[in-house]
Amino acid sequence: MAVRVQFENNNEVGVFSKLTNSYCLVAIGGSENFYSVFEAELAETIPVVHASVAGCRIIGRMTVGNKNGLIVPSSTTDTELQHIRNSLPDTVKVQRVEERLSALGNVIACNDYVALVHPDLDRDTEEILADTLDVEVFRQTVAGNVLVGSYAALSNRGGLVHPKTTIQDQDELSSLLQVPLVAGTVNRGSDVIAAGMVVNDWCAFCGLDTTSTEISVIESVFKLNDAKPTAITSTMRASLIDSMS
Amino acid sequence: MASKIEYVRSKIVKTYDTDEIKKLIKDAKVAHCMLTDPPPVVDEESVLNRLSALTLGNGSGISCSCCGVGPFTSRAQQTAHYKHHWHTHNLKRKLFGKQAISLGEYNSRQDDSSNVSGSESEGEDNPNTPATQLFAAATRHCKAFYSNPKGQVFCIYRCLLHHRKEEMSLDGEGHVWSHRIKELLSPAYFRIAVVMVSGGHFAGCIFVGGSDSVHKTLHSYTTRRSQGQSQSSRDQTGNAPRSAGASLRRYNQDQFTVHVQNILVGWNDELKECGLIFYRAVGAVNQAAIFGKPSPLRREDPRVRQLPFPTRKPTFKEVKRVFHTLASIEVYDSLEHFQKALLALTGGKMPAKTTSDTSIAEQARKVQKPPQKTIDRAKSRERAPRELPTQVTSSEDEGPCYIDSETPAGWIKTLSEQSSNGVITNSRKDLLNDSSLVSCPESESEKEDPGVKGKKKKKKNKKPEEKQQQQQQQQQQQQQQQQPPVVKKGPQKIPNSVKKMWKAILAKDKEGASLEPILEAFEGDLEAAINTQDPNDGNTALHKAAIAEKPDVVTQILNAGGDPCIRNHQLQTPYAASPHADTRIAFRMFQAQFPDKYNYAKSQIPGPITLEQVEQDKEKKAQQKRAKRQREKERQLDKAKANKFLMLTDAQKKKNVENRCFLCGSQLPKIPFEYDDCKFCQIPCLHSHRKVRPLNMSV
Repeated sequence: MAVRVQFENNNEVGVFSKLTNSYCLVAIGGSENFYSVFEAELAETIPVVHASVAGCRIIGRMTVGNKNGLIVPSSTTDTELQHIRNSLPDTVKVQRVEERLSALGNVIACNDYVALVHPDLDRDTEEILADTLDVEVFRQTVAGNVLVGSYAALSNRGGLVHPKTTIQDQDELSSLLQVPLVAGTVNRGSDVIAAGMVVNDWCAFCGLDTTSTEISVIESVFKLNDAKPTAITSTMRASLIDSMS
Repeated sequence: MASKIEYVRSKIVKTYDTDEIKKLIKDAKVAHCMLTDPPPVVDEESVLNRLSALTLGNGSGISCSCCGVGPFTSRAQQTAHYKHHWHTHNLKRKLFGKQAISLGEYNSRQDDSSNVSGSESEGEDNPNTPATQLFAAATRHCKAFYSNPKGQVFCIYRCLLHHRKEEMSLDGEGHVWSHRIKELLSPAYFRIAVVMVSGGHFAGCIFVGGSDSVHKTLHSYTTRRSQGQSQSSRDQTGNAPRSAGASLRRYNQDQFTVHVQNILVGWNDELKECGLIFYRAVGAVNQAAIFGKPSPLRREDPRVRQLPFPTRKPTFKEVKRVFHTLASIEVYDSLEHFQKALLALTGGKMPAKTTSDTSIAEQARKVQKPPQKTIDRAKSRERAPRELPTQVTSSEDEGPCYIDSETPAGWIKTLSEQSSNGVITNSRKDLLNDSSLVSCPESESEKEDPGVKGKKKKKKNKKPEEKQQQQQQQQQQQQQQQQPPVVKKGPQKIPNSVKKMWKAILAKDKEGASLEPILEAFEGDLEAAINTQDPNDGNTALHKAAIAEKPDVVTQILNAGGDPCIRNHQLQTPYAASPHADTRIAFRMFQAQFPDKYNYAKSQIPGPITLEQVEQDKEKKAQQKRAKRQREKERQLDKAKANKFLMLTDAQKKKNVENRCFLCGSQLPKIPFEYDDCKFCQIPCLHSHRKVRPLNMSV
């Protein structure tokens, strides 16, 4: 299901949140509206955590992560890192990297298996990325843009890329990622896809400006209509908890 | 383009010359350089098609379009390609608008330079470089460019065509733009208003055609003259001054705003008819004057547009200049002219507007004028490039060397010649270079070294020392004979006697006495021989002795005149090179004996020491060691006791007289923490003890 949400009158929800299959980070804002939308949708399945990075609220653009791990830039303070570590599940590895391109969210797009990265990303960072997130790393561009993290939103079921990506490029990228891709927009024509939306395997959040056409594209490419959290995290989890209590 | 920029004269056509314009814009199209590629996929149908299919690319034709490779047969092959440096390199080339290169070409380039980054700025043979440059320049420009069927290219300010916030697509043919240019002929564009407000000055004018129909200028005293700031912005910084001048300026500002608004209200009808209204008003105060409540101008009005270039103080003259600048359309006769002009402008070097004789004369005058500017001390001065001083190293650094009895006379001759030419240097670099030249004979002698040593070691136990010495000398004499005299050429030739000495130093086993005969063998030039540096590592005899950890030999050499200040190639003095404490003490004791012989600061010897002090130091150290051992023993004992105590049950512990913590066995403080007669050194101990024993048990 795709949900429209706004962060303090701002439609760029991908800037202020980070959504993966095992956790969700939400920026610390003035009001709790934004947080409560996420919590209402996700809290049964994954932890929704308030976080900041280097005192900034643009956590979605600064961090990169998937169900296996989270990578934060070197500007993250120790307290923030500690807080994130404490609130995420134990299986999630949290790692801080020294990278010149410090807005990791803008330069890396990833799902749980593959990551597309900026061609200039440091080799060390690439290695850390492969280890922490457990992904295969490819240096690529999206529609001639090096900011792959900004112009592509990926999940394990599909991906949305910059509207000017050619069919040829879409085919190449989709065969590389092993998920179907579609070129499209969010927030009434915005081409910065990842800034306008966040997505995981069963849920998506996009800006309040997103049109119904855009929503329907998002829902079909990410296969959100029939999507449920995987059995282990929803139904089985409930029964497990029942039996344990 | 680098050396000479041609300034291409362009014809100017005014927007109000209706006939000229008509001719110009007939069938005009947006210039090619402005156009962007049409977006490849935006049509709904293709998106829907993809959505309905949702396939992973078309399986057969998976290839890398960037590098022109493929189709790949397997996933492994594909991933391998995408991880290849070559692919990354081509990606970057594509980003810079260059052609991709083949793998062979890439490999050959990698051989030339190990530049993986791919950001090389070599002069590529790229056919579309000027075009891309032009595109980059054109899309950023504040003017729009059109071309007409006559081949003319003309430039017009974008603000005449559309509002800043209105985005007009340049994709494909740019029909919107060619439609807009036609609107210039509509009667509304015949009437243009320009309004400028700044620093208490107001100037406004409504132009009909090329001439002004209504105009008004106004000035009031609102800025602080000497400080150069408007009163309102001064007031906003915090404490507003209450001087007479300040209140006068505040009053004037208010009056000015009202006045400007009144003027604009008075022009209401004329303004309504205007097709375009240009304004310049920077800051809240100035904008309030134009867009304030009574004024007929509104910010949202699409006719109201900002001036796209900087202007001077608002005066009637300036307003006229601004209008004529805006209204002029530059016309270039051909595309080449236009390209030259545009690239010259955006290349950062603005050519002089007029190259008339007067301006040249003016420039010449400027050049001749001596720089009367006061020196700006905040800036760092420019450095004049000066040559490095010639390197002259004193003989102290390198040691007096190379000239002894065995140095060939011919070499001395060449040396003197060199020195008369001023060529000779003692620098280390030369030394090293030369040593590499003459390395062959030395390596020859070095090869023999291990054999000599081995023999010696075998015989050492059986034969007396002196015989061994004799044998050694014999061997070396043989060596001398074997070596042809040619070998002695070159400045770096080390006399054999010196080599012999070095060998003796390295080989001997703490037998100081046997060095003396060798040292005696040198007669007058003993000191020079001792201080000769090994060309391989710059070590003198003293270095060698120090490194070999032979304090006796060190003392001997020092007494014989070895200089402790000479540094080897690693810039170590003999003292610094010695790894062993005893050797170091030998140096210090020598310093104590002859405190004035050398400059010991240079030799890095830390200070003199006498035999008594050495003894004292030793004694002290031994004492410390004993004390440490004692303490260790006590600690062991205490630990054993504590362990024994901990083995007891709680009841036994309570009876025990030893003041120990019940949990960890350490000594209790004066007032222990206790519960239920159990005593503890710390609260945590108590807690954990308590936790182990449940409450009901302890009660």
